[in-house]
Amino acid sequence: MKLNFFGKNLLIAGGSNDIAVCTAKIAVKENLFPTLTFRSQKSASRIEKELSGMEGKYGVAFLDFAEPDSVDRLFRDYGVEPDYLVDLVHGDYESLTASAGQDKINSYLNQNIAVRTGLVRLASRIMVKKRKGRLLYISSAAAERPAMGQGFYAASKLASEAVYNNTGLELASRGVTSLIIRPGYIYSGRGKKFADKDFDTIREKIPVKRLIDPQELAEAIIFFLSDSSLSFNAVKIRMDGGLLAGKQ
Amino acid sequence: MCDRNKIFEIIRGVLCEILDLEEVEIMPEIYIIRDLDAESIDLLELGLVIGEKFEVEVNDDDIFLRRLRELIQEADENSIERAVFLSDKISHFEPDRIDEILLDLENGPVLKVKDLVEYICHHKQA
Repeated sequence: MKLNFFGKNLLIAGGSNDIAVCTAKIAVKENLFPTLTFRSQKSASRIEKELSGMEGKYGVAFLDFAEPDSVDRLFRDYGVEPDYLVDLVHGDYESLTASAGQDKINSYLNQNIAVRTGLVRLASRIMVKKRKGRLLYISSAAAERPAMGQGFYAASKLASEAVYNNTGLELASRGVTSLIIRPGYIYSGRGKKFADKDFDTIREKIPVKRLIDPQELAEAIIFFLSDSSLSFNAVKIRMDGGLLAGKQ
Repeated sequence: MCDRNKIFEIIRGVLCEILDLEEVEIMPEIYIIRDLDAESIDLLELGLVIGEKFEVEVNDDDIFLRRLRELIQEADENSIERAVFLSDKISHFEPDRIDEILLDLENGPVLKVKDLVEYICHHKQA
């Protein structure tokens, strides 16, 4: 099946992880122009290395939720005018609620909810002007079933899901839609470290008996950006191999 | 010097496009929400397009008087005369228009097409 896309410019927020670079590679093949955000020189170098040979077919831009001004600068200084936004940003903070520091709680929730909402706000305003746009938020199965210590992570995911959900609801009449994907265990980043430590236990929990490959998730992301998927609006989709479907 | 007629013509064109109306239906004294049935999403788009066309940064709360009733409540709570308080907070209105708005509150949303013209005029001159 050939996928069609109404737009060209794809902004990938949180652009240096495995899923982001896999998504960017497929996007380039589909004649999209991805702009991947980085928040350190190290992550910028990683993007450059992973996408070597594709120079001129993608862009990079600085974005760090710890620096709220960077959201404004992303659109003002870099001139990013996205038709599509894929949001892969997530902050790490695991703590029991009762033992968390108040300052850390404030900064974590501010960065991962309020600053993210600023990103959605500015991106969607550009999309409304164009009367087209697609917003994809990559959430997590932990939003629905957090482990102990993941309360803040789950809280930020659930709140962010609500922001994306409502944006798709509110702006659909102007051609701007949204979709939320809740992946389960991904063989990448923290999930890879976790899985390498205790692969059999994790695999036993998942009905398909395997973790999600980043390439597989990237392909799903590209499909959910395509014109064929646009009736999926303001909805959450699990991509977890059946992890949360049955009795635990 | 602000050319209000020219600004009005441009705003009228934008309103026609967004609300799918004929030009004759849009005059300066027409209420945008009460008469033209503009919804929140229409106002969002209106603010974005107007800002782009006139190259001004539009604050949706200010241009669409979204905080009007909240400001009036604040004036009442602090025992400040409503007209004086609103004149201070809504800088693009002349006192006459504020008086008119205060008399019109009971009838529904007060925003008129001419208010958008004043907002743009004020910001172009600033």
